[in-house]
Amino acid sequence: MLKKIFNWLMQPIGLIAVGIVLLSVFSAAVYGISLTQQTPPQPIEFPHQTHVQFGIQCLYCHPGAAKGPAAGIPSQAKCWACHNQIEKTATSELLVPLKDAVLNGESIQWVPVAIVPDFVQFNHRAHVAAGKNCEDCHGDMSRMGIAENPQVMNMGWCLDCHIETAGEDQEKLIKLVDCGTCHY
Amino acid sequence: MSEQVSRRDFLKLAGLGAATTAVLTGCGPASRYVTREPYQQMPEYNLVGVSTYYATTCRECAVGCGLVVRTYQGRAIKVEGNANHPLNLGKTCARGQATLHGLYNPDRVTDPIKKSRGDFAGENINWDDAIQVVADALKNNQPNEIAFLLGTSSDHLFDLVTDLANSAGVNAPVRFGALSMFESRATLSKAAENLFGQAGMPWFDVANAQTVFSFGANFLETWLSPLSYTRGFANFRKATETKLRGRMVQFEARMSATGAKADEWIAVKPGTEAMVILAIGKLVAEIKGGSVPRIFSSVDPLEVASQADVKLEALQHLAEMFATSNAVAIPGGPALGQSNGLAVAEAVLALNVLAGNVGKAGGMYISALAPNQSEYHRPASAQEMQAFVDRMKNGEIKVLFVHGVNLVFELPNAIGFKEALSNVGQVISFGTFPDETAVEADYVLPDHHGLEGWGYQRVTTGTDLPVLSGAQPVVSPYYNTRSTVDVLITAAGLAGGAFASALPFADEVEFLENKVTALMSESSGSFSATDNAAFMAYFQQYGGWWKNVDAKVSPSGSTAFSRNISAEQAKFAGEGEFFFVPFVSPTLGEAGANKPWLQELPDPTTTVMWTTWIEINPETAHHLHLENDEVVRVISEAGEIEVPVYMYPAIRPDTVAIPFGQGHTAYGRYAQNRGANPADLLGLHFNEAGDLAFAGMKVRIEKTGKFKPVSRNESRMGVYGEDLGGEEH
Repeated sequence: MLKKIFNWLMQPIGLIAVGIVLLSVFSAAVYGISLTQQTPPQPIEFPHQTHVQFGIQCLYCHPGAAKGPAAGIPSQAKCWACHNQIEKTATSELLVPLKDAVLNGESIQWVPVAIVPDFVQFNHRAHVAAGKNCEDCHGDMSRMGIAENPQVMNMGWCLDCHIETAGEDQEKLIKLVDCGTCHY
Repeated sequence: MSEQVSRRDFLKLAGLGAATTAVLTGCGPASRYVTREPYQQMPEYNLVGVSTYYATTCRECAVGCGLVVRTYQGRAIKVEGNANHPLNLGKTCARGQATLHGLYNPDRVTDPIKKSRGDFAGENINWDDAIQVVADALKNNQPNEIAFLLGTSSDHLFDLVTDLANSAGVNAPVRFGALSMFESRATLSKAAENLFGQAGMPWFDVANAQTVFSFGANFLETWLSPLSYTRGFANFRKATETKLRGRMVQFEARMSATGAKADEWIAVKPGTEAMVILAIGKLVAEIKGGSVPRIFSSVDPLEVASQADVKLEALQHLAEMFATSNAVAIPGGPALGQSNGLAVAEAVLALNVLAGNVGKAGGMYISALAPNQSEYHRPASAQEMQAFVDRMKNGEIKVLFVHGVNLVFELPNAIGFKEALSNVGQVISFGTFPDETAVEADYVLPDHHGLEGWGYQRVTTGTDLPVLSGAQPVVSPYYNTRSTVDVLITAAGLAGGAFASALPFADEVEFLENKVTALMSESSGSFSATDNAAFMAYFQQYGGWWKNVDAKVSPSGSTAFSRNISAEQAKFAGEGEFFFVPFVSPTLGEAGANKPWLQELPDPTTTVMWTTWIEINPETAHHLHLENDEVVRVISEAGEIEVPVYMYPAIRPDTVAIPFGQGHTAYGRYAQNRGANPADLLGLHFNEAGDLAFAGMKVRIEKTGKFKPVSRNESRMGVYGEDLGGEEH
């Protein structure tokens, strides 16, 4: 049976068929990968740059970054504290979802862009405490509207930085590249 | 085949397939499939990404175990025991763990409903109208025509309704639960009263005993306080420097999960328990020397041995074992649910008096009363429920409020509760779930789930300390439900007069504070505080308040032997050839059937899940030409049900057993139309204490010719000659 398939595959028509299949798999893969590189749609087209330009610190909306594992997404109450005093909130089309959510008491379903798999125990606090700035990992938000992820957050990327941070300090290096540091 | 395709080619092909699979499935980023839903208003003490833990009390049964619930972003995600709680010391049972499946149950009642009886569908109403309905019901009826039927949890609601009854003259609340019916609580307390002159819940110190004789008590499953008894059992089995590993003997016709843990199983003939205990007592007294107390002297062990289907040598060996070690005897289960149940309970307590263990370590005590309790209070017995149902039938009850108990399901059909409801003008259910009783109500005004509500529960038995276990909301209510205490307080205010002055509280929290801070002046508390707010804060933080004082009572057994205990056999109702033993499912209890975790949890002895079965001895099954999974009709004088057969070697050939817990006609998608309810088979026969003689029935079995495969975890291959083919039906 398998032999027959092999023989058929060796014919010109078989080779063409294999080519077509490979090509379609390849293009599907390229399309899939390109999808991962696009910023996912958000319920509100949140302009980060506008907020940064007003001088709002990252930690004002994401205070968890300095205190614990997750930076957190601000509660609607926090958004509304400023926005209900801003005239544009009443008129802007972009802000209708916020207004609706707050007035109806419904949650806004944000799509996270910078996440790691469940088996990685990432903690913001350690990184902020080590002197990392938000933009080191999340990019320059003063140039971004909807949040984008400027890099692939894989293990190599983590380790590059961990090794660089350790420098010549062997003890620190062992701590920073130990499996149990992130996987526990 | 491997001769035709080379290894190299095969690897190439396999590699191509693997690569294709990896490319097609591995590229999707996880982030695209999740959303983050932030708080609308984040509590100040919360931190994103960090769990918050709350201490509360389990409401799955009346025991009152302390819980610590892990919450994350406002959602309860894991239940564990409260390590500081003196009753359960950080442990929970399966039902406690599954309380989350009640909280997130898709069939919860989400809004107050006005409906017609017999059908759950109705129109949603708003809470103002719902409360007005309650206020009108209170105001427009005579107080003695208003009645409350409450479950065994929670106690703060019971106290509120008791206040209402005392001040406004409505009927005192009646409490009931199928668990307490199967535990024969009235019998236990009546036996203590008759022998020691003191009603109360007996407590058996299993942990420090050397030998335990359990007469049907399923104390490792659902009986009275299973977690603390299980802990006691673990210590009982542990050998230490001062004591040997304990030995246990279980006397019961059908081996329960507790019986399966025993060293010896004595399958006495149902109905002969009293005489067996008295015979053991007589033999023990003889071994100990001196005169045999009159209470034991009337029985002849040889005669008993033949009647009870036990060898005389076995009785002698058991008596030897009991007489020569620090022994305790425990009454419970089917042994008490017979026409002579009270005699059985009294005989067992007398056996403890004979062993000289009353009020001693490893012996029996009367349980400590809870802090805000002046005398022992037990739920209604089945006979008292019958009297109540008779009042309903006579039209003496115009308004009936039901909370925390599903009486249409839990009471035997023969008592006629459902029919009696038609003589009650207005039925208002506070059910959290659409259970059978809520179906028969005119209004369903849903209470919060236990994890969303306030309260407290008195610990009836299981610890030396007097414990008031505290409950607080661990999450905000998910639906448009309202605390029943709040509903009653507001409605009483609207009704005015005696009702308003009976409940002069702004809301449930104020009521709770009023009750709990009354304990501030007590000494030796687990914590103390100088102002109400601090006391309440500690009460919430620690999950309750307890007195660090050993308050269990050592009763006097001096007059115990002057009782006359009849050694006669129990009487059985009905014509059938089999003794019938209904038992509470150790996994489902009386209200666990709507929780998939519990449905999926295999029964500890049979490994059956998701249905009801009848346990029949393989010999009997062979004799009746029955096979596993064959559906039989079980017929008693009160009714009949159809259940598939499970061949169970650990049951007497003249006895059959059916678990209680399934057979719901409502109660949500997981429970409805699943299995059968053995309570339908129970006739109205009571023991001398008024408890239902649930194990005092005889049943017939008929073949139906149908098969229903029972899902079970264990393999049947090689059992009773079955092979794989035997499973095909």
